[in-house]
Amino acid sequence: MADLSVALCGVTLKNPVIPASGTFGFGREFNELYDISCLGAVATKGLTLAPRAGNPVPRIAEGRGVILNAVGLQNPGAEYFIEHDLAWLRSKTRVIANVAGSTLRDYGEICALLDGKTDFIELNISCPNVRCGGMAFGIRPESVKEVTKIARENLQKTPLIVKLSPNVENIAKNAAAAEEGGADCISLINTFTGLAVDIRRRRPILANNTGGVSGAGIRPIAVRMVYEASRAVSVPVIGMGGITCAEDAIEFLMAGATAVQVGTQNFTDALACPKIIEGLNEWCDFYGIGRIASLTGTLQLNG
Amino acid sequence: MREITATILENTPIAEGIFALTFATEEAIPVQAGQFAMIGLRGFPLRRPLAICKAEGERITVCYRLNGEGTRSLANEFRAREKLPVLLPLGNGFSLKDSQRRVAVVGGGVGIFPLIAAIRQYAADREIYAYMGFRDRESVCMEYEMGRGKRLLLATDDGSCGYHGTAVQAFMGEIDKVRPDVVLSCGPTPMLRALKVALTGKKIPAYVSLEERMGCGIGACLVCVCKKTDGQRARVCKDGPVFEINEVEL
Repeated sequence: MADLSVALCGVTLKNPVIPASGTFGFGREFNELYDISCLGAVATKGLTLAPRAGNPVPRIAEGRGVILNAVGLQNPGAEYFIEHDLAWLRSKTRVIANVAGSTLRDYGEICALLDGKTDFIELNISCPNVRCGGMAFGIRPESVKEVTKIARENLQKTPLIVKLSPNVENIAKNAAAAEEGGADCISLINTFTGLAVDIRRRRPILANNTGGVSGAGIRPIAVRMVYEASRAVSVPVIGMGGITCAEDAIEFLMAGATAVQVGTQNFTDALACPKIIEGLNEWCDFYGIGRIASLTGTLQLNG
Repeated sequence: MREITATILENTPIAEGIFALTFATEEAIPVQAGQFAMIGLRGFPLRRPLAICKAEGERITVCYRLNGEGTRSLANEFRAREKLPVLLPLGNGFSLKDSQRRVAVVGGGVGIFPLIAAIRQYAADREIYAYMGFRDRESVCMEYEMGRGKRLLLATDDGSCGYHGTAVQAFMGEIDKVRPDVVLSCGPTPMLRALKVALTGKKIPAYVSLEERMGCGIGACLVCVCKKTDGQRARVCKDGPVFEINEVEL
């Protein structure tokens, strides 16, 4: 039995496996299938100050090894979450509140509202599916730093994770900009902006036209970006992008991640997260790894 | 709801472009008519939500139309004795009040399959009047199952079998004679819309089962939402797929 615990910004997670924002709601539905207290943490559905209705349907499409989604941040609002779901979710495991906004001021306000109430705040500055839905802040390093700073100024107690977009020129620069702005941790990658075509109708499948591409097909790009970003910062990194099994998660850990998030695979297999946790334990035991935390950043490039 | 590894018993065509997939579960799973299953296909990240057509103890049948790569793969590459990951039973099905004795069932296309589950569940102690629409004679299937009730009237677009017209037209032609206590329906959205219009002012409760592209199938991802007439959003997978006809925008 390996020690799967990892420390993230002074908070201990029992293991490094976290369902990714938007794929897991607030945990209640998956808890009908398995006890979600086995998870290292849960990243909530993206929260905004006011409730949001999201995009028209269809909101999902499929490609080879990938899916595209354009849910558009439908959520009941942060206050509803605090009132109805937060206490229950915290009784289960660590809570990462994923937050988004349309303006700098929104980001400041939602951080102030949630400060001290959750274990982490994850700043969504990379949602590609809504107009002014955050990704505008996530593209240029200057604006990454600016929005991070606003969030930081509004958080006294809760560690700040900044979730980076991969739709950028230089991921290392954006990672460094988040750290300069005051991020305690960075997570990456959010989805790539993509387009899937219904060739019979000569129209996009998604009502929103474009959507965020995720799933196993993007994993090598995500691992590369996690590697580059982790080299550019001194804060811990949460890696994600196409993780389907324990071995995929280990790639991210070796590339520099302290913990990982699992998204699309929750749709392919609702029991993905507990299976990955079990697989990590088996892998560590097989290779004589006593502490999973010792794997982080151990990737050595070929000379 | 549970995640199981099912064993395929049969996966065969039953009409033009329509297949029936029967699988065995390790133990009997209680299923309400109108509930569905998320079927996992090798090589496809998204599961396919398919209405449960028959649940007989440890044998469950779902039916699907060849529609895209996923369903073609299911038809061509999955044989008897193979294993299949399945999440089921999901969603809220058709549940009738004890007072609803005369039940009209109006279906079209692949929408007939969850209605067959309803006919199977309720035919023993209620009067079922079924109106089922198809393109033509060749696309009619499961006639025996559809006919378990008191009456079955087939409708075809080309008149090659049964009533010449739509299932809704066939039903409306008999509604005053049948005087149903409740209507259950599933099919293409234009059909459901026509039913809603036809029933306006009739004071007969009607329930429709909706179809939408899904992500998780359990209510977590908010991919498969529909608009409710009160302006709220509902999750087809978790709050539905069966809704009261006036509760949702069609």
